[in-house]
Amino acid sequence: MKLRVTEIQRFCMHDGPGIRTTVFLKGCPLRCAWCHNPETQKLKSELIFYPNKCIGCAACKTSCGNGVHVWSETHLIDRVACISCGNCVENCPTSALEICGSEYTVKDVLSIVEKDRVFYSEGGGVTLSGGEPFVQGDSVIELLRACKEAGLSTAVETCGYADPCVLREAVKFVDLFLWDIKDTDDKRHKQYTGVSNKKILENLSVINELGARIRLRCILVNGVNTDKTHYKELAVIAKKINNFDRLELIPYHAYGGTKSVFLGFADSGRVEWIPTEQQIQEAKMILRSEGVNVI
Amino acid sequence: MKFYTQNGGKRPIRLSKQTRQFAYESLERKYGLDTLKTNSISLDNNENYSAFSALEKYDIAILKIAEEAPIRVCEGEKISGAATLGFAIKHAVPATYNGTPVCSSISHLTVDFETVLKEGVNSIKIKAEEAYEKYRTTEKEAFSKSCLNCIRAFEIWHRRYLDALRDLSEYKANYENLTHVPFEPAKSFYEAVQSLWFTFAFIRLCGNWPGIGRIDYLLGDYLKKDLENGTLSLNEAREILAHFFIKGCEWVNGQFIGSGDAQHYQNIVLAGIDENGIEVTNEVTYLVLDILEELGISDFPTTVRLNKNTDEKLLRRVAEVMRFGGGMLAIYNEDLIIEALVKDGYSEREARKFANDGCWEVQIPGKTFFAYYPFDALQLLQKKTLSCYAEGVDFPDFEALYSAYTSDLHAQVEEFRVKQSVKFVTDGTHNGTWIWKPQPPCTVISLFERDCIEKGLSYSEGGPVYNLISPHIGGLSDVVNSLYAIKKLVYEEKRLTLPELLRILKHNWEGEEALRQFALNRYVYYGNDNDEVDAIASRLLSDFADACASLRGRSGYAFPGGVSTFGRQLEWSSTRLAAPHGRRMGEVLAANASPTPGTDREGATAIIRSYCKADLSKLATGAALDLKLLPSSVAGEDGIQALVALMRGFVSLGGFFMQPDVVDAALLREAQAHPENYQTLSVRVSGWNARFVTLNKEWQDMVIEQNEH
Ligand code: SF4
Ligand code: SF4
Repeated sequence: MKLRVTEIQRFCMHDGPGIRTTVFLKGCPLRCAWCHNPETQKLKSELIFYPNKCIGCAACKTSCGNGVHVWSETHLIDRVACISCGNCVENCPTSALEICGSEYTVKDVLSIVEKDRVFYSEGGGVTLSGGEPFVQGDSVIELLRACKEAGLSTAVETCGYADPCVLREAVKFVDLFLWDIKDTDDKRHKQYTGVSNKKILENLSVINELGARIRLRCILVNGVNTDKTHYKELAVIAKKINNFDRLELIPYHAYGGTKSVFLGFADSGRVEWIPTEQQIQEAKMILRSEGVNVI
Repeated sequence: MKFYTQNGGKRPIRLSKQTRQFAYESLERKYGLDTLKTNSISLDNNENYSAFSALEKYDIAILKIAEEAPIRVCEGEKISGAATLGFAIKHAVPATYNGTPVCSSISHLTVDFETVLKEGVNSIKIKAEEAYEKYRTTEKEAFSKSCLNCIRAFEIWHRRYLDALRDLSEYKANYENLTHVPFEPAKSFYEAVQSLWFTFAFIRLCGNWPGIGRIDYLLGDYLKKDLENGTLSLNEAREILAHFFIKGCEWVNGQFIGSGDAQHYQNIVLAGIDENGIEVTNEVTYLVLDILEELGISDFPTTVRLNKNTDEKLLRRVAEVMRFGGGMLAIYNEDLIIEALVKDGYSEREARKFANDGCWEVQIPGKTFFAYYPFDALQLLQKKTLSCYAEGVDFPDFEALYSAYTSDLHAQVEEFRVKQSVKFVTDGTHNGTWIWKPQPPCTVISLFERDCIEKGLSYSEGGPVYNLISPHIGGLSDVVNSLYAIKKLVYEEKRLTLPELLRILKHNWEGEEALRQFALNRYVYYGNDNDEVDAIASRLLSDFADACASLRGRSGYAFPGGVSTFGRQLEWSSTRLAAPHGRRMGEVLAANASPTPGTDREGATAIIRSYCKADLSKLATGAALDLKLLPSSVAGEDGIQALVALMRGFVSLGGFFMQPDVVDAALLREAQAHPENYQTLSVRVSGWNARFVTLNKEWQDMVIEQNEH
């Protein structure tokens, strides 16, 4: 069984306790307007081009049979024609080209994760992120099972929009769920992520029933979900969780925009969405006053 | 009053307002600038000065320094004594004849403070008197007499402080302590701190730069006793000890080619096991960490000895202090270091006592003569093995190239032995007896190094128990990456021949940008946990250690190997040719055993793993790994856990010495633009820290550059 992986990052510090190796998996059912990792949205692999690294040597043009690399004043990419075969990537001297979403076996992933085992004291281990890991249901379960068998601590960052059967299975192998709640207001949820939050909240109670350890991760987007009602709703949800770790507020940042440019999207970074320090503090205060452990 | 941090965190406040004020003023260089007001004592009035022997000249200088150096009592200080002569900061005995300093001075050692604290300087005096009786009318008489003269100088300077303090009611405690110490054994913690400081200050006053060594080992028992007796509280002890650190800021403007001040080889070592294998960590360990955390004083770079069993509490505390940045804390893996020292011939009990030379090179304190020979391994490859890329240089395969390089390495190390062989009167190869020719005087240091007095031999003439000159290989990762790139480009992938590659390098990659980019981007270099390239590093270090070991018994010195650049990569880089791993002429070189800047892409854990693959126990003086961390990656409780896990991993993988620093490049740029606002901001440079604003532009740029990748 193969996994489509965008990147495996060692020495990650904020994806669960201790030092972690984070495996970014490709594909996501949501289309959040503020997505920080747009390269992980589509399940299929894609070509990434970093124009700042390109020296114009045209080695890519020569090695591509599909006429994807064209020059009109600057180096352009005809994405429709690209089949992500990776030929040009192999021949680019500067690593200006990259295939995002190569296939890995469970064993491939484990051999990289194993490298830092000695640094996984203090609760460290492996974190699956994305994208939405559970999009690749069975393969992801297999990876998680293999990690547990190898004695590694596991965490999964999920948007929760997944098949409940997969989640039920996953609970057996996941030490910590990093569960995203983008918005408690369903209308806004639909507007900004493309889907309803109903399934996400139902799934949360499914894994909660099964005793999963849960850390909530809540993005703060200025002017979208920076209202008191939302914070209070979050507290209600948090307090229902039996094995609750903590709630993390993730202030929106605009970096996502730059990466999407390399994928050929228009820049989606929006400065006005960045929450103010005051808004962050207010959110924390309200959550704390409701008795929620928040950082 | 702001004590800077790199992570924007809030330093806790535990010390009194007066002590914090004293610290702030000291960091703002109030006393440092005062020290620079009087550079030296003049010996010009001394008739017939030129007629005296070198040793007599030295004694005259030391006595005059003791009699005339300015006395300084800082406002509110809890311990007294000050090294108040500017030329001492320039590494010279601060006495001049016709305008030039009469003698150079000694650094790179930690002296025997243990004897001073426990037995008092009087015990040394008794030994010196006995030696003088014994060596009278022998050729050793002059040195023995010099020992007595220097002790007399110490007494004179001590007396002057007593006189200055006697009638000052607010310094009553200082005065009372000084009526006992350092000449008598210390009886309390307060006396011990005063004794340590006063002796340290005297040695520095005479121009030398000693390290402090294991301060918790030295002071722990005194504090324990006082706490048990209820004669001192922990808070009082912290105040007293803080003054030791604050007074340590009295030297600034080292003028060591602009490499910044605060680097006078005065390192401190904390924690670790004692000679009986029992963990030393005590209240003093934690007080030192408290003080560093609160005041951010970087003048005593501090290294914590860790082992597999180090307490979680200590590790967390170390991580908490480390996070503020400034590079104040580094770590030793003592499991490996003790193993290395035992391999090098020390007994296990002796090995467990290790501290350092005031920088990070490992040595047994109070017993070791130490010097080192640095060389650039990249230059050796370029200049010797590849004859500066001359036409016609070629090797049939990688092994042939590698073995040519290792024989050049052997020749380099052998050259070091030959260089110092001129110091000996006799060749002791056969009977092990080496006799040194007279060396420049250094009696003040010899007083505090075991065996010198008894043997009637100075510190530089074979007096100490161990005499080491350590060849230090620099440019490690640059040369490893060069070799690896040649292996791939020429021998494995056969993209071009070696002569073709060398021709391109000779022309600094001109017209070959695509190939340069290929070499730079498509290979995974040292520091990324790539077994293939790391194997070259491990092999090279092992061969280098063997080359050093081959000198054993062939000199009065032992030659344990080490890995360092100490910032030398800055001067080296301008004269090195382009290198096969995509480096152009003039580009920044690697520091110590760290990766070449810009080539490490996998993060801290991969760097540590690459470094630890070598058998570092063959390098008895050490191999330094610099690790730069972003404030964001060590933020919060997660950050503490991460640092603790990094340190634990470093120990279990068999690392030697690591200096992690938390640095924010943007903050450094701001400090570069507005130095006036950042007087107290410090950074780790190499074995030392420096207040950033005292570095010259090139050094500042180098530090920033190292932190931007
Ligand atoms: S990935 Fe394949 S199809 Fe796409 S541009 Fe490169 S060579 Fe052409
Ligand atoms: S091969 Fe790479 S560097 Fe060359 S033109 Fe294509 S993208 Fe640019």
